Amino acid sequence: MKKVMIGNHAVSWGVQRSRVEVISAYPITPQTQIVEELSDMCADGRLPARYIKVESEHSAMAACIGASAAGVRTFTATSAQGLALMHELLHWAAGGRLPIVMADVNRAMAPGWNIWTDQNDSLSQRDTGWIQLYCETNQEVFDTTVQAFRLAEQINLPVMIILDAFFLSHTSEPVDLTDQEIVDEFLPQRVAQYKLDPSDPHAFGALVRPDAYMEMRWQQQEAMRDTLRVMPEVDEAWGALTGRRYGAIEEYRTEDAELLLVTSGTITSTARHVVDARRSSGEKIGLVKIKMFRPFPTALLRSALAGADRVAVLDRNISPGHGGIFAEETRSALYDVPLEDRPTLFGYVLGLGGRDVTPSVIEAIVDRTREAEAPERQDLWVGVEL
Amino acid sequence: MSGHSCSLLFPVEDDREYSMSDYQGAQARWCPGCGDHSVLTATQRLLASEQLKPEETVFVSGIGCSSRFPHYVSSYGFHGIHGRALPVATGIKLHRPDLHVFVVMGDGDCTSIGAAHWLHATRYNVDMVALMLDNNIYGLTKMQTSPTTPEGYRSNTQPMGSFLPALNPIEATLGVTNASFVAQTAEWMPAHLYATLEAAYKHNGFSFVRILQRCPVFTGDIYQDAVRNPDMIEMLEHPDGVEVPDLHQIYQNISRHDPRNMDAARELAEKMDRIRVGVFFRDESRPRYEETRHLPLHTTDEKIGILNEELDKYAV
Repeated sequence: MKKVMIGNHAVSWGVQRSRVEVISAYPITPQTQIVEELSDMCADGRLPARYIKVESEHSAMAACIGASAAGVRTFTATSAQGLALMHELLHWAAGGRLPIVMADVNRAMAPGWNIWTDQNDSLSQRDTGWIQLYCETNQEVFDTTVQAFRLAEQINLPVMIILDAFFLSHTSEPVDLTDQEIVDEFLPQRVAQYKLDPSDPHAFGALVRPDAYMEMRWQQQEAMRDTLRVMPEVDEAWGALTGRRYGAIEEYRTEDAELLLVTSGTITSTARHVVDARRSSGEKIGLVKIKMFRPFPTALLRSALAGADRVAVLDRNISPGHGGIFAEETRSALYDVPLEDRPTLFGYVLGLGGRDVTPSVIEAIVDRTREAEAPERQDLWVGVEL
Repeated sequence: MSGHSCSLLFPVEDDREYSMSDYQGAQARWCPGCGDHSVLTATQRLLASEQLKPEETVFVSGIGCSSRFPHYVSSYGFHGIHGRALPVATGIKLHRPDLHVFVVMGDGDCTSIGAAHWLHATRYNVDMVALMLDNNIYGLTKMQTSPTTPEGYRSNTQPMGSFLPALNPIEATLGVTNASFVAQTAEWMPAHLYATLEAAYKHNGFSFVRILQRCPVFTGDIYQDAVRNPDMIEMLEHPDGVEVPDLHQIYQNISRHDPRNMDAARELAEKMDRIRVGVFFRDESRPRYEETRHLPLHTTDEKIGILNEELDKYAV
């Protein structure tokens, strides 16, 4: 069934189709519509779930942790400061190996106060142990939401679905809402391997001494490694049922490309148009979209980028004191590529706090990357110094 | 320029008289009919009447519609972090006790995400004025249930109506150990609002004022009857609290309540038959955090110097 809907409601419908049992959330712009639609669904019976209204995002994630530990499928959504307030509990969810799914609507961090999109909120949570999946379209948002539950429950790690504020969250697009029977076939009810069960009592969250703590982290890391294999399998299983697949990364018109753009989120759609236009005039240019940021698809990126002359990474984020985060992680992934195949990397920081990234902005980046002898610095600020 | 003093470039205006317009910041962008406008006007009137220097006055807010307040007052301001206005203000006041500190929070800021700070700020009893602009809803995020939303009231997060009885902020504040000033007023009673703000400002300690207010977009109906029917209001009056004789003609339910009487205050706060406005409790003898904490008399280096001086006396 196709419906026209905003990205926020595409999340809500993904959650509804996934038969989530407990939802807990606190409102924050630009996420609020996700949980408002879910509370409507809970109230009118479209989704027989418990909706727990709490007093902060910290409590929202705590409630999800409790419910997930009790063995049910749980969901929450947040944005920016709300996600930052959850920080302590994000570690808890991942360390506790709880398959919680959360949507984060990418919004710039304050101060200065700003409600528009950039990725610094989610990327600040990079090392909390959550899988991170960035989306480009509302259809991808819906599909990723359903996939996220299967992925999370298969490997016992929490998953963050990430979508751009306003460009997706408040923009309407047609979304094919996969029928319930098909989703049910793809995503059976959660069977928790370990859970709080009075008939089989266990304690969770006890003190772990130095002789065992490191092994716990090792297991988490192994689960992340497994995710590199499992995520594409889950994506393929969904693709077999719906015809829609995305991959951990997507290579777009990369064949024989001399210059490759690396993008994530909605900037990707704009960049596709630029690539198409340049290709039609004979330029050897392509695009690599990073959907999965954690675990980082190092091997996939290496093979996608090796052999190109130049790579321009478009970062809607900044690690202060370092550079654009996707650029720096990509640079690190390329270190093991033999020198003769290793492209020169240009890291562009742009679009912070929701500043528009138009085709002409990307056109200028393409021209500049072609013409420059070498990048002057690891982070080049578009619209500020360029 | 050698003959000129700095004061010509930066004139000292100690004798300057401030009018209300001197406290006017940016143009307020709340919705037409929003109760926040009324609170802003009453506050600016108080600032002018007390002749508070803008550069010695600080407004601290959190997040929400009412937290835009500092933008609209020409003074120092901190439009802060959701729920954390009180700790920010505490930090300011402890380091700069000479400043006049006002905190502006909504019901979400104060009773929801920042509830822990509300409890402890009340107990710390730092000398400042805390205004809780209570419109019974999350307005900035567009109509979600707040802790003070009336039971059964529909919102976007509880479309079948709020499940639980609303939190009573006056009752809750009175329940906190060391509370020293607890008052309630209403945005549609400007004379009472002003008198309450004045009493709160003059109180030495943490003055908590809950201001009942209409959100014309989302909760315009909650106080509709009370606005139209003065019989639904009861004014608590006392020379040691608030007295507004000008309103006696309109509001005829007037009861004398001694704000030193905590038991009576709690009893009144619990009653739901009428809306009670006035000072429920006030006691200036309660200990204030800033007066229990003193900076050490001597630095570590000074202490070592004193010790050495003493020891030198025994030098052979």
